[in-house]
Amino acid sequence: MLQKKICMLGSFSVGKTSLVRRFVESIFDEKYHTTIGVKVDKKVVSVNRDEVTLVLWDIHGEDVFQKMRMTYLRGMSGYLIVVDPTRRQTFEDAVALQARVEEAMGAIPWILILNKCDLIAEWEIDPERIGASEGSRQDVIRTSAKTGEGVEQAFSRLAQAMLHSPC
Amino acid sequence: MKTSPSHMPEQAQRRAPTPEPEERPEASDRAFEELRHIIVSPEQEQIVEIRSRIENPERRVEDVSSVVAEAIQLRRQQGDSAALSEALAPTVEETLRDSVRKHPHVLADALFPVMGPAIRKSITETLRSMLESFNEALEHSLSVRGVRWRIEALRTGKPFAEIVLMHSLLFRVEQVFLIHRETGLVLAHVTAGAVASQDPSLVAGMLSAIQQFVHDSFASPQQETLDSMTLGGLQVWIEEGPHAVIAAVIRGHAPADYRLALKQALEDIEEKFSATLEDFGGDAGPFRSAEARLEALLVTHYRERPSSARKPRMTLALGAVLLAMAIAWIFYSLDQRHRWSQFVRSLREHPGIVVTSESDGRWQVRGFRDPLASDPATELARYGLDRSKADLEFAPFYSLDDTIVTERAIDLLRPPSDVKLSERAGRLSASGLASSAWMAEFGQRAPLIAGVRSVDTTELRNSDIASLESIILTFPRGQSQPDSGQQNVVTRAARDLGAIRRYADLTNQQATILIVGHTDSSGIESTNQVLSNQRAAVVAAMLMRDGIPKAELLPRGVGTEQPLRTDQSDDAQHLNRSVTFHVNLSPISSAP
Repeated sequence: MLQKKICMLGSFSVGKTSLVRRFVESIFDEKYHTTIGVKVDKKVVSVNRDEVTLVLWDIHGEDVFQKMRMTYLRGMSGYLIVVDPTRRQTFEDAVALQARVEEAMGAIPWILILNKCDLIAEWEIDPERIGASEGSRQDVIRTSAKTGEGVEQAFSRLAQAMLHSPC
Repeated sequence: MKTSPSHMPEQAQRRAPTPEPEERPEASDRAFEELRHIIVSPEQEQIVEIRSRIENPERRVEDVSSVVAEAIQLRRQQGDSAALSEALAPTVEETLRDSVRKHPHVLADALFPVMGPAIRKSITETLRSMLESFNEALEHSLSVRGVRWRIEALRTGKPFAEIVLMHSLLFRVEQVFLIHRETGLVLAHVTAGAVASQDPSLVAGMLSAIQQFVHDSFASPQQETLDSMTLGGLQVWIEEGPHAVIAAVIRGHAPADYRLALKQALEDIEEKFSATLEDFGGDAGPFRSAEARLEALLVTHYRERPSSARKPRMTLALGAVLLAMAIAWIFYSLDQRHRWSQFVRSLREHPGIVVTSESDGRWQVRGFRDPLASDPATELARYGLDRSKADLEFAPFYSLDDTIVTERAIDLLRPPSDVKLSERAGRLSASGLASSAWMAEFGQRAPLIAGVRSVDTTELRNSDIASLESIILTFPRGQSQPDSGQQNVVTRAARDLGAIRRYADLTNQQATILIVGHTDSSGIESTNQVLSNQRAAVVAAMLMRDGIPKAELLPRGVGTEQPLRTDQSDDAQHLNRSVTFHVNLSPISSAP
């Protein structure tokens, strides 16, 4: 079976962990996030009837106290950047983070996740604007950790993108 | 020298119209030119070619490049390699230094498979001697520890074997991961037996994450990495190669040389899969073939081998002792059984003993025994069997066995030493010489003895009769009065007669005493007849004086007819002048 390392990035408390908690196989405690800054989970998805094991490195969000370790990204084939649209700053940070990642790792498939789509009324950013700024080329997926909406789709989309890219 | 064919004519044509001072007419000039061209053209072209080579640096580089390797080789063959090395050394050194500075991993990666074995070889010798002394130390402490473990087993109530295993299990490699270094993805994973393991892809990922975390947080400038983690009795040993990482999960304490095994395996895998590792795109399929190599790393080592070697020897010795004991027991019980059956057989043959049931399993005999028969317990002892183990139960009874009946008769009748008793088929026979009194008692009591149905006394002689009939009263020549000094003989005769009479009385018989008078052969017959009559009458009178009724005495003279001795010696003649007795017993007829 094909395996791919993917990373999940995003600012502190955008809901990365809660987003995937119900969808992945996990054996490790969440305290690893705060101790070593990463927790490894697994997600099996089907792409064109082939199963792909996504080894998901859920990387602790950056904040003023803790910088993200770029070495954790080594060897990844794709990544998810999670944004909390109810906090505008997280989007700004995500854009900067994506640029840094792309600079370090090159252009590899990634998905922008707008979490908390169940709270769309409280969003501080304009979804239309995101769509326009990123263009149709970039995948943007709305998800909800509460309802689980869009999560499977996000993994599948990323897996598809990775299999079609040379990485 | 390589030349390009398309190049040559072009050069030649270009050089051909080179101006030279000419005064000749144009036609002859042309002819001459042509001739010259024909004659010198090839050389000229070569000169042009050579010059271009010398003058054009690019061409010179090209020319040298084609021979530089051969030139160096030739120089070395000429035996001048020292000068060559000297010339090249600074450049090579500079190159290496530059390479290491710019791309350290390239050289490190290239050297990786070479350096490992080289370093190992030098270390192995040192390690071996160290390990040997360590092993020796272990051996020496064995016996004391063995005792300690036994105490521990007693104290904890655990089986001794478990304690030994707990203490003697040096280490066991439970899992081995082969991980792609760059991505942290698991390439292969093997486990030892029934060891429970978590999802290897998650463990491998987390292991890489931890390794990177440690490396980032604490690593020194050199490319050092986390090479082991310890959690109680569990250790994770990590060995990193340029592209792959081997992680071994070890329970217990593995020796340092196990790391060498890890390194060796990693080197092998790196070498075998170098291309696959470099282009790894997430497909772990090709690494399936590395699993055998990893399985070789799943070793289990016990602290002491001797225990396993010693144990069978002890078991063997114990087994031998038990076997010997078993064989001895079998022989003993076979012997006992044999003795028992012999004992029982002898009992069966024994007169006066009847065996009704016997069991050799329980050493039990039931039956009957005549009180006069021999004691079975004595018999048991004679066969060397233990009385306390045997259960003998005999009810008393009267046996009709001949031997026993005879014994019983002897026991009851107490025969005199001259009498022999024997019983056969209910008939008790007595033989020998017995007093009248005993004979009378025998006649009365013998038929009452159990087992005696009839009595035979034909061989039994009355000692009183025998005594009387042996008496010879001698007489002087021509006299009817006995020789003097024979009073005691007469008294004896009277006593014998008394006993005989009493016996006859008891046995309901009539005793008649024949008193026979004899004479010697001298003198005439008629006189001798008279003399013998007189002699018998004299003795009869003497006996009558002693109270013997006349009716029972029958005196009779036989003259010389029945001489005691027939020769003519004085002794014989003297004996023939005598009186002898003969007893006749006849049953008294029931009719009066």
